[in-house]
Amino acid sequence: MNKLMLSAAIASTMGFASQGFAAGPIDGTIYGKVNVSAVNADNGADDTWKLNSNASRLGVKGKTEIADGLYAVYKAEFEMCVDDGDCKGQTFTQRNIMGGIRGSFGTVWAGKHDSPTKLAQNKIDLFNDLEGDIKNTFEGENRVSNIVAYTSPKINGFSTTVAMIPGEGADVDGDGQDDTGLTDGISYSLSYSMDNLYIAVAGDQDVDSQDLLRIIAQYKMDALKLGVMYQQNEDNLGTKDESGFFLSAAYKLDKKTTLKAQYGSIEDDADGDEEETLSLGADYKLAKGTKLYVFYTDNTDSSVGEADKEDTAFGLGMEHKF
Amino acid sequence: MNSKSPGFLISTFVIWLFSASAFSDCDFDTDDADSPNFVDKIIECDEQKKTTGKPALYRASGAAEYKNTTKLYGDGTKDPASGIFERPIVAPGSMNHSPNKTFAARQAYSLRPGAKFEQSVTLAIQRLYIEMAHHCAKGWSIEDQWSEPNPEQEGDYFLHYRFACAG
Repeated sequence: MNKLMLSAAIASTMGFASQGFAAGPIDGTIYGKVNVSAVNADNGADDTWKLNSNASRLGVKGKTEIADGLYAVYKAEFEMCVDDGDCKGQTFTQRNIMGGIRGSFGTVWAGKHDSPTKLAQNKIDLFNDLEGDIKNTFEGENRVSNIVAYTSPKINGFSTTVAMIPGEGADVDGDGQDDTGLTDGISYSLSYSMDNLYIAVAGDQDVDSQDLLRIIAQYKMDALKLGVMYQQNEDNLGTKDESGFFLSAAYKLDKKTTLKAQYGSIEDDADGDEEETLSLGADYKLAKGTKLYVFYTDNTDSSVGEADKEDTAFGLGMEHKF
Repeated sequence: MNSKSPGFLISTFVIWLFSASAFSDCDFDTDDADSPNFVDKIIECDEQKKTTGKPALYRASGAAEYKNTTKLYGDGTKDPASGIFERPIVAPGSMNHSPNKTFAARQAYSLRPGAKFEQSVTLAIQRLYIEMAHHCAKGWSIEDQWSEPNPEQEGDYFLHYRFACAG
């Protein structure tokens, strides 16, 4: 038996073993998605075609019941760069990684993860991971290291998550002092969801050098899904004091086709600068988990005393979830 | 080949990745991992694995019987009444019959106070009977039935029938 066959045989045995222990020690599911798009990006000076890997990822998640009603939960997700295989010099880069304990009291979890504020956005951003991603215009879309969080059970539609982010010696509040406490940064969300309605209030304190508050609402009525967000944020140095809003709408034309539009605007009261984002697009569902999409995005930065900086992009892409 | 060589590790990972235990029948959406209630999704989806589809049928009737059962739900088509992604009920008059063939069907219903009539268990049963008549036009027997909660919505359930066409 050659070496490759031998390693395959051993690995195969391990595969069957993991199947045998599926409800025990190895209790997980592989999941992920490939999302690629061919995009024409125009920054006003240059017009470039490129292939993008839009947060394509591979993850494993699972839980193990360690006592009656008490679970150990984990999730480890990694970005893979389908376009050129180069994820900031790595083959994979870390996305949301967490472990926690879940019981009737709720879930205590920790890791490197999207903050409660980012999670509370609840995908009202219909062009997530594309050029129109809300993170290109609004603060608060943070994946935070060293996060320790508690998520309550859902009670009468209400749920809350509070996260503490130790500074680990960094100066997270910009006061010139090293921060070494457990609650140097705080992120929280309070949400209510019932039937087709979702409402959330979320905020950050000293997260990514920002204090932030956002209010999110999402409503589904038949084929139409609407999202709205209002946000205020200011940085620790007092050089940014922004407020803005975001609107999105998705309309399902039929079983396969969904039309999408979103607009956001945020203005900095400190210096008068303004940012706007507008995206239009459509999804065409090929199968469960697989879709084609087209989009157009216009992101405009208006700085006082300077010419507007306008970035436009249109593209065609495919997403396959597994 | 050294057991720690890249070739060994890659082939181990790839085979584990594509082994049966690595995948599940759960309808967990990839983007659910980034949702506010992502822990609920992990727990409930994993529980669903154990109480629906293959595991439920396996538990109810044993592996051999399950293997011969054709699942009639979960193809991603949205039921406009329940809002749940399911295969639509069959059209009356489009009859088939496969003697002794076993099927598993399910329909959603709601026990929420504000549920519409279209979400009632009565209509769920009616739909299941239409399905059974479609697939077993010459008669059938219900082998098993059970309900389970819909993890997407508190107060919503799925009513399952496993049925066999008359011989």
